[in-house]
Amino acid sequence: MRIENHPILGTFHEGGQMVTFTLDGKEMQGYEGEPIAAALRAAGVMTHRHTLKRDEPRGVFCAIGRCTDCVMIVDGKPNIRTCITPLKAGMKVQTQYGIKAKE
Amino acid sequence: MKRYDLIVVGAGPAGLSAAIEAAKYGLKTVVFDENARPGGQLFKQVHKFFGSKEHKAKIRGFKIGEELLADAEKAGVEVHLNATVSGLFDCKEITVIENEAMHHYKADAIILATGARENMIPFEGWTKPGVIGAGAAQTMMNLHGVQPGSRVLMVGSGNVGLVVSFQLLQAGIEVAAIVDAAPRVGGYGVHAAKVARCGVPFYLSHTVIKAEGDDHVTGAVVAEVDSHFKPIPGTEMHLDVDTICMAVGLSPMSQLLSMAGCKMQDKGGIVPIVNEYRETSIKGIYAAGDVGGIEEASSAMITGKITALAAAYELGFAEEKDFREGETRYKASLAQLHEGMFSPANKGRTDLTVTDEGVLLSQNLLKKGYLDLGEIMRFPGAADEVKKVHGIHPVIECTQNIPCNPCQDACKFGCIAVGADITRLPIVNPANKCTGCGMCVASCSGQAIFLVNDDFSETEASVTLPYEFLPYPEPGTKGMALGRDGKAVCEAEVVSCRLSPAMDHTALLTIKVPKEMSMTARFFKAVGV
Repeated sequence: MRIENHPILGTFHEGGQMVTFTLDGKEMQGYEGEPIAAALRAAGVMTHRHTLKRDEPRGVFCAIGRCTDCVMIVDGKPNIRTCITPLKAGMKVQTQYGIKAKE
Repeated sequence: MKRYDLIVVGAGPAGLSAAIEAAKYGLKTVVFDENARPGGQLFKQVHKFFGSKEHKAKIRGFKIGEELLADAEKAGVEVHLNATVSGLFDCKEITVIENEAMHHYKADAIILATGARENMIPFEGWTKPGVIGAGAAQTMMNLHGVQPGSRVLMVGSGNVGLVVSFQLLQAGIEVAAIVDAAPRVGGYGVHAAKVARCGVPFYLSHTVIKAEGDDHVTGAVVAEVDSHFKPIPGTEMHLDVDTICMAVGLSPMSQLLSMAGCKMQDKGGIVPIVNEYRETSIKGIYAAGDVGGIEEASSAMITGKITALAAAYELGFAEEKDFREGETRYKASLAQLHEGMFSPANKGRTDLTVTDEGVLLSQNLLKKGYLDLGEIMRFPGAADEVKKVHGIHPVIECTQNIPCNPCQDACKFGCIAVGADITRLPIVNPANKCTGCGMCVASCSGQAIFLVNDDFSETEASVTLPYEFLPYPEPGTKGMALGRDGKAVCEAEVVSCRLSPAMDHTALLTIKVPKEMSMTARFFKAVGV
């Protein structure tokens, strides 16, 4: 959920541009320039990838590009840290399985 | 290879302060940071900082970040962003990954200000989506305006856990509980108290043992631990949460210093052995801020300045007179922050039972996160209540020696005194008349000051409390007054809700309560909210 009005910080994304991107082919919306992970969390998406050996789900952990738990396939490129990669219109985001997209 | 006089690694509070100081003396300086934006973690800090005026006390962290960036720009500091320093060598050379290529830079001095990373404790299900770092929660809500969850379990009662819990509440998120394996609250009592009065329960000597859920967190199991921090069977308790937030300490990111061959030591994290100017065992390589040992942003900014000043002097840019003068000033400023019961020297101590003034510490505050009414009267900020001052007056529930004095500066009428030693407990002087302006309430970074008026009416008293939540209740709003433990204690009605620019988003909420509740009512909840 997005924070509409914050007692200290006021509003976020004033004048920000909403753009469309896709997650596993499904159309979604987010603010241009915010981290992909922020747009996904606002849309209620928790799982960013599944591990190779045990197929366990993983999502955001550190949110500052350090832990690499939130990596996904972005525009065909795997292992993209979604918590620090800015969202752009038309981005193709895919859940990562091991180091690939689902066949 | 490019050459500079000084290279700074990290554009957080320590690194930027170092670069600004170095620019004063004309060193050709460059700063590298792996992030897309400078400022480190400052822009996530929405609370008012502690310290005194020169430490930028009562200014919110992100505002300090904005000031720092403006100063850096004015000083002409060159900052490379999206630039990851991947190597540091003893010949004072670094390798930097920029635009997917490796570049070499060399300087006569290098200041490492790489900060720290969050610790983690593993437990069943800890890798599930929904288990996040406290820093991640801050990043999502305060930087990106996205709620990390809807109901959160906070693990850790140090200042990070306490501050982030309060921020979660401010962002409209429920905090189900704060647990800590230690038997005592680790952070400042004032931070704990402002969370507790909102109704968040503290479970000390408890830890999280399981994250429930299939593909993401749907609950948590916590349990009591014994004196060896082992969970006690049979004490398990389920909490309905969708997020588990970990605030279990920070570790210095000192790998580059190890790589260069600096002598290191284990002091609650691997840190370099440094001299009084934070110079490592390799001449010309310095460590500023958290990389040299975990503290907070205020001291990081000072150690940044100290390292840059030392480098400027060492390299012949600063005159000895300027160096000595600056050194004296910065060391004194740092020493002020290093006093009191939370000083680096007292880290990990559990044997403190009295304040510097000899007042017995509140055990309730350490075990439950809030003061017991019976304990408050023995502290100098509330002692006057016993003497029954007529009319409105401040009650200061500040009971630990922490370095902070904005309340003293805020009162223009001399009602509040801390003294030159900023870790002393504030004293309320009943000889000077309180006007009820409330600037002390708004200025207290710990939100520990209340205005109490026992003579509000025949039967009622008024209590003015700091309020940083939306929506602000309208005058006439009826609701319940909550006690320090967050439980409803009596009916209350809003008299006023004041906010001016000088209060910087800390509204002064005045409620009226039955007279006998003036020392019990400490928070307000509107009915039906």
